[in-house]
Amino acid sequence: MSEINVNEKKEGAAEIPYTIEINHVSFDYIDKKTRFGALHDVSLKIRKGEFVCILGSSGCGKSTLLGLLNGLNKAKSGELIINGKPISGPGVDRAVVFQQYSLFPWLTAKGNVLFGLKQSAKKYTKKERGELAMQYLESVGLGDSADKYPSQLSGGMQQRVAVARALALESEILLMDEPFGAIDPRLRLELQELVSKLSIENQKTVVFVTHDIDEAILLADRIVVMEPGKIRTILKVDFPHPRVRSELIRSDDYEKLHRQLTSAFYDQLMENIDKEVAL
Amino acid sequence: MRNLLSGITAFFHLEKRMYIEFAIATILFGVNIILTLTMGYYSEHKAYYPSNAFIVVLIIAWLVYAVNLFWSKKKSTSDIAVVLFGFFILWEVSYKLGFIHNDLLIPSPEGLFHVFVEKPTEIRDDVVGSVKILLDGFLMAVILGTLLGLLAGWVERVREVLLPISNVITLIPPLMFSAYLIMILPTFRAAAIAVIFFAVFWPTFQGTVARVGQIDKKIIEAAKTMGVGTVGMLFKVIFPYCLPGIIGSVSKSLRGAFMCLSGAEMLGINIGIGFFIEKYKSFADYRCVLAGILTVGVVTTLFDIVINKIEKTVIKWKD
Repeated sequence: MSEINVNEKKEGAAEIPYTIEINHVSFDYIDKKTRFGALHDVSLKIRKGEFVCILGSSGCGKSTLLGLLNGLNKAKSGELIINGKPISGPGVDRAVVFQQYSLFPWLTAKGNVLFGLKQSAKKYTKKERGELAMQYLESVGLGDSADKYPSQLSGGMQQRVAVARALALESEILLMDEPFGAIDPRLRLELQELVSKLSIENQKTVVFVTHDIDEAILLADRIVVMEPGKIRTILKVDFPHPRVRSELIRSDDYEKLHRQLTSAFYDQLMENIDKEVAL
Repeated sequence: MRNLLSGITAFFHLEKRMYIEFAIATILFGVNIILTLTMGYYSEHKAYYPSNAFIVVLIIAWLVYAVNLFWSKKKSTSDIAVVLFGFFILWEVSYKLGFIHNDLLIPSPEGLFHVFVEKPTEIRDDVVGSVKILLDGFLMAVILGTLLGLLAGWVERVREVLLPISNVITLIPPLMFSAYLIMILPTFRAAAIAVIFFAVFWPTFQGTVARVGQIDKKIIEAAKTMGVGTVGMLFKVIFPYCLPGIIGSVSKSLRGAFMCLSGAEMLGINIGIGFFIEKYKSFADYRCVLAGILTVGVVTTLFDIVINKIEKTVIKWKD
């Protein structure tokens, strides 16, 4: 197994290097009897600067995979490698945006971003931190709300702050776990475009978990479609950035890709339902 | 100045009903003053006290009421004032008409409040003495209880050891320790401090552990993914999250502490408001005993107000 890895690494080095390597990873929730969210022998390689969406229905293990990448979950077998080093736990080289609002309620919007900056590997003076925090808040369009507490902000605004806080960690990798799942559709589109723009501007390698096909197409360079426990297929998305949804959906390629994804996504769902019915 | 102005504008924006209620309460206040100043005694009493202290108390009560009504506009404010002034009128009249015969056990309102004119330094020294003992034991207990609570809340192994122990200890009223503590500790003062400590430490500890248990898992996970270590987790994440709960439990346990303090002082210390009460009880001077009890109530209320103010200025966030 290790030999194969070496070969693949050499291959990758010829072009853009791999930032994330997931090799034959398996995961079980030991305490639960269900296999909900388990993974079996999953392998995936993600290049520097790539935006990868992991698409799947709930319980297929997509969030588990992200949990392995952010270090909160530990793999049962296999290895996860970030820039050549195996993951040993959570770290500031990977910033995370969760689905639920995970801001610190006792800190203002600016305080939350400052917290990220303080944890960042780079060292700044207090003054620089203050300026940077405002810069990040402004980049998510919340310069005016710097002194508001999370309880005073709407759900969408809170997720913007969470994105700003993740950017403030100034890590190369951004891990997002259905960050806009709980936000109403119109706002969601706005946030998707914002994340797409910011990830390109800041040259982030992004792993973005979602169950929304349109979201995946709008954001991703590659879409990894999952079925329970493993990867079903990987599709490339070649539309140039910046993508505008209203223009995208008119193109034939979009429709083709959408159909492909839908069938990959729903066939697997139907198979599952059949299995359950058979049982 | 701005406060005054907004107070005046607020006055003109009150509902009509509130004016009527204000008028009723003020009339009762006026009746109270007139009765106190002009009504004669229709029965024999052992002692007659000047009414100046009682008049001052009435005026202060009315001022506090008026300010509260116009600032907070709470509906219950007038009701409280009516009950209070009504009670004073009833007391005053029944005393002067001779319905209350037992001078020794039930003083006149004039007599009760005159204690504060007779013994101002003694009461002041005893209040200061009490507060000093209280703060010593209280601060120690809050600081240590919080630290240990944070640790036990976060580290399961520590929690599993300490929580059962604390569950047993908190069931024993702290005053029960005091007889023993007085024997083993060098001074009465140390014993009193120790009683306060026990009264506050365990509730603070348990409250903090419970609050740590309530913290949203997502917050912990977010902190972990930002590379926050154990010490950072305790003091930069869990502590600020628990702070409102800690301050909330502080005001609760302060009341308990005051109770224990008065009890502990009655056991033999020679300063403090509990000692004051105990001393005049043995002189059978129940006028002073009542004044002492009243003082405990006032001081505790003042502490409560201060803590609420602190809570409001320190905690600006909500969950």
